[in-house]
Amino acid sequence: MDHVAHASLSSLGHASWSARGVSHTVFAIEGMRCANCSRAVTRAISALPGVEHISVNAATGRAAVDWDPTTIALKKILDAVTRAGFKPLPLGGVTAASAQRAEHRLALKRIGLAGLGMMQTMMFVYCIYAAGSHGIDPAIAQYLKLAGLLIATPVLVYCGSPFFTGALRDIRRGSLGMDVPVALALAIAYTASVINTLRGAGEIYFDSVTMFIFFLLAGRFVEMTVRQRNLSATEALARSLPSTVARIAADGTTERISPELIRPGDLLSIPKGAVIPVDCRLVEGDTVVDESLLTGESTAIAKRTGESLLGGAINVGRPTRVIAMTRTSESMLASLVRLLERTQAARPSITQAADRVASWFVVLTVSLALAAALFWLFAEPTRALPAALAVLVVTCPCALSPTTPAAIAAATARLARLGLLVTRPDALERLARVDVMVIDKTGTLTCGAPVVEVTDIKGEYSRDALLQIAAALESVSDHPIAVAFRAHANKNVTADSLEEFPGKGMEGRINGTWWRLGTHQFVMDLTRPHAGAPGTPERTSATASATANSDAASAECADPHAEFAPTGIFLGTPQGLAATFSLTDGLRPDAALAVEQLRGLGLQVAIASGDEQTRVDTVARQLHIQDALGRLTPQQKLALVQQRQAAGSNILMVGDGINDGPVLAAASVSCAMARGSAVAQAAGDLLLLNDSLTTLAEGIRTARQMRAAIRQNLAWALAYNLAAVPLAAMGWIAPWVAAIGMSMSSLLVVLNAARLARPRGARP
Amino acid sequence: MNIVFLLIPLGMVLMVAAVAALFWAVNSGQYDDLEDAGRTVVDPEDE
Repeated sequence: MDHVAHASLSSLGHASWSARGVSHTVFAIEGMRCANCSRAVTRAISALPGVEHISVNAATGRAAVDWDPTTIALKKILDAVTRAGFKPLPLGGVTAASAQRAEHRLALKRIGLAGLGMMQTMMFVYCIYAAGSHGIDPAIAQYLKLAGLLIATPVLVYCGSPFFTGALRDIRRGSLGMDVPVALALAIAYTASVINTLRGAGEIYFDSVTMFIFFLLAGRFVEMTVRQRNLSATEALARSLPSTVARIAADGTTERISPELIRPGDLLSIPKGAVIPVDCRLVEGDTVVDESLLTGESTAIAKRTGESLLGGAINVGRPTRVIAMTRTSESMLASLVRLLERTQAARPSITQAADRVASWFVVLTVSLALAAALFWLFAEPTRALPAALAVLVVTCPCALSPTTPAAIAAATARLARLGLLVTRPDALERLARVDVMVIDKTGTLTCGAPVVEVTDIKGEYSRDALLQIAAALESVSDHPIAVAFRAHANKNVTADSLEEFPGKGMEGRINGTWWRLGTHQFVMDLTRPHAGAPGTPERTSATASATANSDAASAECADPHAEFAPTGIFLGTPQGLAATFSLTDGLRPDAALAVEQLRGLGLQVAIASGDEQTRVDTVARQLHIQDALGRLTPQQKLALVQQRQAAGSNILMVGDGINDGPVLAAASVSCAMARGSAVAQAAGDLLLLNDSLTTLAEGIRTARQMRAAIRQNLAWALAYNLAAVPLAAMGWIAPWVAAIGMSMSSLLVVLNAARLARPRGARP
Repeated sequence: MNIVFLLIPLGMVLMVAAVAALFWAVNSGQYDDLEDAGRTVVDPEDE
């Protein structure tokens, strides 16, 4: 079954993959711009046998289909889309780029012609208006009307055709889309103007026709630009793969191959500035890579020989050689692209609701226009036509569709650039509502400065006393380890005669007793007076060194999933060992800032960890988190989340995404910290790719902005339409004023949605 | 006022010329990428 999907991938360039006998394909659809279009595509495809699931997104122009390759061929699905009146396009690669360019060029030409035509016809019609009661030579007036007709006709045919084809498509399948009232208004206004011109009496609306076309096209152009820019976040990823890669054969010769042909174990040469094609391991030459496209991490990362590199990262250091670890289709890059595609193709429930309302809105508009026309026909027949036209033109359903999906797409794209991947379409909406954040400590909050743990106690001293003694011994050192110990300092416990033995540890006297803190050898030497008496430093080499421990701790931070091996630090008196300490991974450097930011957003932050309560408490104390539970089994975590949800909280659960699947699934919205190949397996509505919880705070902020923008748009649309439609029906708005009003209104909501994609300015 | 009968067609010819110029410019790709061309000025690796 795999080969069917693969064949389609190579022949058509659609993003396809298969799982459990079901192939998943995402493709772009040209000409799809409203809720009804996406419903038509959905209906056309879901009617086919062998199609298991379909989701179509009008804002992004994407369709995602799950289909059974044993029952149906992909070509059948694409044919169905064509029959429905749309053009399926392959994603990514040359075709999509050229299709996008052609769409862009055609739109510009249409806008240009409509704009010039608008100015010309306005000039002609203005002459007639301006003459007013003074009268104009009827021959000249007629001449001006004919000139207007001459210009409005090509504008209508060339520039207005998208509205007519869209409306025809809607009517053919018996549903009302946004193009229907537009096409209706254009057709009525133009026809009436032509008739009035030919019979030499009555109003003409050539200026309104050209103006309406121009403003609508301009609005759609802005919307198209926003959509294409949002898509480009994904396609920048998908397209970042180089077209050829230099593979080094066993005999040392270099051949250029297509990246799809890379197999695990291949030796590849990566020049400076090139994109790394697959996840791989550096075998020759230290370098620096830029992973910003993958993780949103803006600073370049130094990589040493033997370290792994992510496919999609850019080699900004120097030419290197690497060994491929995956195929391109299995690399993290491929997983990311697939997740993004799936999210962009799916339609969140808020969009579906907006689409349904938008459809009714169109019905209402046409009925209102008809009612206004009928009313004026009996009251004052000359005003019937302009009133009906004004109602058709002035109404603006744009806030419902397509700007709601555009807002979601813009927010998703912005977060993808920051390194927070939205994998479920509804996740952003749910994220905006979150009020409690539960963090599974391990791998999320921790990693950074080492934290002291007591692993073994010998003798009569209590745990706290031992920690205080150690802290006193470390009180003068500014070594990272000393800083970790000093968290336990007690001002009643002080040491004198302190001396630091580089690479070994500290020595000092507390209440008359000599203590040593450091390597095993160093402490044991204290118990053997001949080998090294207190105050007489002995400088033999020590095998393990406390200094090295802290370096190891910080090096481990490069990989949050690597277990930090506790290394012993020993405390003893001349009577023998008193305690063994270990260093475990400490807080991430930005954890405190992130928690503060999250609190600033009004969130309660809680920790639910499977780790020892003491370790959890250490972290909680540092972050001032009151609500911290340790030693929880996955079932207990699940119960905790469910209990809080029953109490009415919307919970954001943050975990590593591998071991805490059930809890993540139960939470209102979940975020998994994922990196490398883990991305593909990680369960979570959101994937945090750069290990920084501050990105999550930004995510919540963006989700709330998105929700606010959608609400603003809906409120505006309601206010605008409630104000404008009655005025238009009363005949107080001229059709050309209605055209300006509607266009400005839709431009306003589109720009309000597009605003979300823009990264905010520098924040402290 | 007879001059109007001449000037209006002349104005329309001018408009046709303007549209033709725009179409030529768009078709020759001048509007395809409005961002990168500006960037090349400050790109040190570009000639």
